[in-house]
Amino acid sequence: MIDFFSYICISLGLFFWFWGTFPLLGKRSLLFKLHSLSVADTLGSMSIIIGLLLKIPSRWPLLILALISLAIWNTVLGYVLAYCSSSEGNYER
Amino acid sequence: MMLNLVLIAMILAMLIPMYEAWQDDDIWQKMLAFASFATKTSIMILVVSVFRDDWMIGVVGVIILSVGNAGLMLLAHVIKRMNEV
Repeated sequence: MIDFFSYICISLGLFFWFWGTFPLLGKRSLLFKLHSLSVADTLGSMSIIIGLLLKIPSRWPLLILALISLAIWNTVLGYVLAYCSSSEGNYER
Repeated sequence: MMLNLVLIAMILAMLIPMYEAWQDDDIWQKMLAFASFATKTSIMILVVSVFRDDWMIGVVGVIILSVGNAGLMLLAHVIKRMNEV
């Protein structure tokens, strides 16, 4: 049962990965891509890690550290990239 | 069997930012693609480590996750400064 839930979490995460990454290929603005990446990619990665956590609970300190660093770093990196890229030119397309 | 499927899907998802970084000339789009690539790689390392039950590989993945993005942030600031000068 737990195995089944963990595979559901992992496949949900993979779905989120593809969903968030496919807009990268389009011709949209940078901020649109950044938004889709930072939301769907982070959620997908967190869901994959939760799936792994269900599978092997004995590794929880490592996996919780990965979860926390994902949640913090990806949001901070999103802000920093948006801030650094917005100063030159505008990306409205 | 299941591990192979998961890994193949992850590699496919990883090819998308790789292709984007290769064909786009805008530096910020490249940075974005590389950020996504780094996260995906470290999650893949974690998946492999958990399935192989190897604590050492997992530690490497978590270190990449927790300090690897800092390098990208510093790089973004350096690129911004270079563009200003």
